[in-house]
Amino acid sequence: MSARMDRGVVTQSLAQIGACGLFLLTLLAAIPRSFRYGRETVRQIWFVGAMSLTIVMTCGLFVGMVLGLQLYDVLSIFGGTSATGTVVAIAIYRELGPVVTALLFAGRAGTSITAEIGLMRATDQLDAMEMMAVDPIAYVAAPRFLAGIVALPLLGVVFCAMGVFGGHLVGVTWLGIDNGTFWSNMTATVDVHKDIINGVLLKSIAFGIVVSLIAVYQGYTTPPTSEGVAYATTRTVVASSIAILALDFVLTSFLI
Amino acid sequence: MTQRRSYAVGTGLFIVLGFAALAYLATQTTSVANARQGDSYTLETHFANVGQLKARAPVKIAGVRVGSVQAIDLVPGKEEAKVTLSIDKAHEDIPDDSVATIFTSGLLGDQYVGIQFGQSKKALAEGGIIGLTRPAQQLEEMIGKFFGGGSAADRLGGTYKVTGHFTNVGSLQAGAAVKMSGVPIGSVDTVVIQPGHLDAFVTLAIDKRYAQIPDDSAAAVFTSGLIGSQYVAIQPGGSPEFLKDGDEMVLTQSALQLEDLIGKFLVNGSPSDNKNGAGKSGGQPDASSGK
Amino acid sequence: MTDPVSSRSDDTIVRVRGLTTVLNGKTIFDSLDLDIPRGKITAIMGPSGTGKTTLLKHITGQMRGDRGEVSVDGQNVPDLSRENLFRLRERIGYLFQNSALLTDFDVFENVAFPLRQHTKLPEVLIRNIVLTKLQAVGLRGAARLMPTELSGGMARRVALARAIVFDPALILYDEPFVGLDPIALNQVLKLIRTLNKTLGITSILVAHELAAVQHVADHVFLIANGKVVAQGDAATLANDGSPWTRQFFGGEADGPVPFQYPAGDYGTALGFPGGSL
Repeated sequence: MSARMDRGVVTQSLAQIGACGLFLLTLLAAIPRSFRYGRETVRQIWFVGAMSLTIVMTCGLFVGMVLGLQLYDVLSIFGGTSATGTVVAIAIYRELGPVVTALLFAGRAGTSITAEIGLMRATDQLDAMEMMAVDPIAYVAAPRFLAGIVALPLLGVVFCAMGVFGGHLVGVTWLGIDNGTFWSNMTATVDVHKDIINGVLLKSIAFGIVVSLIAVYQGYTTPPTSEGVAYATTRTVVASSIAILALDFVLTSFLI
Repeated sequence: MTQRRSYAVGTGLFIVLGFAALAYLATQTTSVANARQGDSYTLETHFANVGQLKARAPVKIAGVRVGSVQAIDLVPGKEEAKVTLSIDKAHEDIPDDSVATIFTSGLLGDQYVGIQFGQSKKALAEGGIIGLTRPAQQLEEMIGKFFGGGSAADRLGGTYKVTGHFTNVGSLQAGAAVKMSGVPIGSVDTVVIQPGHLDAFVTLAIDKRYAQIPDDSAAAVFTSGLIGSQYVAIQPGGSPEFLKDGDEMVLTQSALQLEDLIGKFLVNGSPSDNKNGAGKSGGQPDASSGK
Repeated sequence: MTDPVSSRSDDTIVRVRGLTTVLNGKTIFDSLDLDIPRGKITAIMGPSGTGKTTLLKHITGQMRGDRGEVSVDGQNVPDLSRENLFRLRERIGYLFQNSALLTDFDVFENVAFPLRQHTKLPEVLIRNIVLTKLQAVGLRGAARLMPTELSGGMARRVALARAIVFDPALILYDEPFVGLDPIALNQVLKLIRTLNKTLGITSILVAHELAAVQHVADHVFLIANGKVVAQGDAATLANDGSPWTRQFFGGEADGPVPFQYPAGDYGTALGFPGGSL
């Protein structure tokens, strides 16, 4: 470990990315075997998904409200406040929804996945499973990975719905944009394919894969000490955040 | 085991909530909300130019959405676009002499197909053809019709110079076009402030070919397009005498701010003397002058 | 499924031949030879860091040596496919040093875990098996406690119940006596002996506690420097007079196992010119 410390950050990051990629292959190979543990996957969807609902919904509401407020302010310069709903919806669907949800997910669920698997590693639970002839990749890692991929798009969609609701609350209820105008402008411009499928869903699924992979990988390769678990948790947040934003740029440049 | 079942129930609820939110977003906040997928029938139209019209663009009658554009193809062997419209079964009473026009919603909005009813008692049936159409109007053309437009004049035959005083030239610069009836006839030579004056002194170099400009003509600073560059428009007067080299044009109209222009357009119908008869109420383009 | 381990008649269950393992440049095993007799309690002892736990991991296939053969019941473990290895592991119980109970589940579900994973037994039967095993370790009443609510000794007994839930032919105990108070220690000792005598389960235990080992083990291997340096029953081993046994069982600080970790010259390290003091 200490010999590796000496190498540059770049080499180290590359090595991490490479190891992570190999881990992904192992994980993908284990997914068919993990279908026997469907119940475990369901349980993980509950933990990483449903338990993140509160934070995602709250943040979605506030993001929508802030956007409504700011856009109303800016658009009123051009006399275009009726476009508030449109711009709130598009900004949330294409960028803020998937990205903020993924960041929240990395902080809320990603860390808990890493810490949980890390502690299982530190307390020999993974080895114990190996000894009980249960493949921990299939039983522990894959269900959490799958749960993340399922949960993040759902959370992203909920975030978007709350965001639009928040924008409506501020724009229509408080600032007095006409309700019909708000919705008709939105429905005239927002496109299912471009904004919902390519925006919310596709990005969320991509982020779900990346965040879950990083969280599971960091947990699985944690040095079996309490310090190791702490570092791994931090690394999950840092690596996920960078990966989300970088991937967002790449995806956007392909999708737009 | 009860513990596990509660996870399953909770997870199920979570997934249902997610899909409900997705369904809500997809159907209530997007164009799908407009596309009621009821029974529909198709009509066919032919346009000389569809502009930016896209498939799934709305089809409206009197501003009310009645269907959408199903497909846009080229008519084989012709420079003509075939547009297939999908119209709700609820609106089966479109007269067969109706007119289909491609409109732009607002100044910068998307294009859509508008149908204006004719007088015929016969309604169009499935697969019917709307014979009378008006092609898409490019925004540039529309605005050009109001304000003139085009490129600077070629100066093959040499120029003569006339001058004018403007209280405000906006962002007019030397080299800008001088147009009459929208046709470039010269260019702006200099824009300066003369010593002792508070207004701008503009020298125009006008092509010798256009020597017969009445000497009581007015010069105005206009903007080509919404965000285009400014130019000087000459509005001919009625005097039998013509402008000569070195003459000063007495009647001038200073640059208008874009906001003023749009304001005038929206309120009064036209910012200037309505040369082209454009700007009928509701902002609909006048198709007759398009070709 | 292949024949159960116990149906084999030869009396060696684990055979290690010429096992050589190098980890991070350090030689753990240097051509190690070892035979574990069937149906007995065998203790593997040795100074810390000699790879006793590593040896157990070789037997279960969690680690592979660089050279040599480790066969369990006639099957060479390093050659087994993943599937066959898992099949073999279903017949081996392994008691981890820190019990390694799954923190997500209560005691009952922990013990039931291997059954649920590998069988489709009806719930009633699972319940009966689990309660029988918990009764055997004296913790039937603790079935609904979570692992965090257990003391170290109790956790180890639960782990033991889990390890024997498939009635394995072989149980590996990794440091089963560490951190136990005398009462818990005696309970665990009693359990190891009972399981061996009543069920005929072969037991391999890695331990440091001489008194406990003498109490329970039929056969003892003393491993040092990657080789077996002494073996025999506990009583004779303690008195055989070799420098290894004298140091280990006599608890002397210096001997064949040096007190000093290998280091450069002391004088040089302290900066005295001319080296050695």
